[in-house]
Amino acid sequence: MSTFNEATEQAAINLCLSIADDKLFLGHRNSNWTGIAPILEADIAFSSLAQDDIAHASAIYELAGALMGDSADEVAYGRKPDAYLCADIVTKDDGFDWANAIARQFYCNHFNLLRFERLSNSSWSELAALCKRLIVEQQIQVNHINDWILQLAKGTPESKGKIVEALNDYACEASMMFETPYGFDLLIEEGIVNTADDIFSEWHKRVRKQFELAGVEINVKQRNADAEGGRSGVHSEDFNESLRELQAVYREDPTAAW
Amino acid sequence: MVNKQAILDVLLTIPDPEMPISIVDLGIVESVDVQESNVRVELLPTFVGCLALPAIANEVKEKVGEMEGIEQVTVDFIYDPPWSTDRMTEQGKSDLAAMGIAVPDGSCCSSGSDITQVELQTSAIKCPWCDSEDTAYTSAFGPTRCRSIHYCNACRQPFERMKQV
Repeated sequence: MSTFNEATEQAAINLCLSIADDKLFLGHRNSNWTGIAPILEADIAFSSLAQDDIAHASAIYELAGALMGDSADEVAYGRKPDAYLCADIVTKDDGFDWANAIARQFYCNHFNLLRFERLSNSSWSELAALCKRLIVEQQIQVNHINDWILQLAKGTPESKGKIVEALNDYACEASMMFETPYGFDLLIEEGIVNTADDIFSEWHKRVRKQFELAGVEINVKQRNADAEGGRSGVHSEDFNESLRELQAVYREDPTAAW
Repeated sequence: MVNKQAILDVLLTIPDPEMPISIVDLGIVESVDVQESNVRVELLPTFVGCLALPAIANEVKEKVGEMEGIEQVTVDFIYDPPWSTDRMTEQGKSDLAAMGIAVPDGSCCSSGSDITQVELQTSAIKCPWCDSEDTAYTSAFGPTRCRSIHYCNACRQPFERMKQV
């Protein structure tokens, strides 16, 4: 197992938490669609996506847990609200609006794929090996969600109107995914994060390509560099509500197994 | 000391809980290391965090642990090298086809190829029931995370396929 000095270790833990928290809450939100998605295939797909994301979260919590001396469950469920480092796009209430769910998934999937690509050559060998594997699974999600953007944008005027509205609604939260967790600069110095170039530009290029294919115009701006959000532990009310629901069983009985 | 082949023979009797073939034929057994009475088995998850993993680990510990001369069995899941459909045995592939689950020929993760190039659904996919290539892709998501759903226009049967990873 890799060993780090104290400051790097804390930064590495923060990095893992920011990725795994994104995935855990996204999976949790998407699992709410099980049984009520608009068509059967979409229902199975969203349940599978939720399963993917929670499984990915679990694997990354294990990496973080090995450094923290905690189990994946303890890391996932046992922290105080401001110790969660997810971006708040993943916990934003989608109001059971399908276009919202698709828009959120679209922005997050492209970001997650890019993040895994960048970490697949990390100097942290365990993280690099895991991310190489995750790229493949994440690409399946990206292909699927690109199809949905196309279908809704090229469907009826109503479906186009709804997806455009949702993509615009989630654009601001999407830009906050690019906030970096505490200690990120140190990780770049150590080669754990190998990302000298601008990840936002590459992500923007990829989502814009899909917007062009879909024939929609969406304005996604880069976040204000000073804006503090989820990655700094500053969260919205929707996050607090998600966390309460997510932690309910763990708070009742931390040793519960299911 | 127990020989490694004897352990592999035992692993060959352990089926994947979600697939009617053994974990050896599925290609997830990466290594078996015997030190005196201790055995360490390294397994490669087909998909990260697959729900069948704890069941597989328990079964390996139980079955190998029952062997004479074995005291301790450790099962570790590792991601390097990544599992791919290329690792499945011919026996495994034909057993799955007989159950109506097609297996892709190549893998996007074969050594040297670009791992980001996950299959685009452009190539013809053969129906495992009738071998026709007149098939349609229904959904990337099926009964397990590693399988997709297809439909054969020739014999009018739905079928599944191991995702090409």
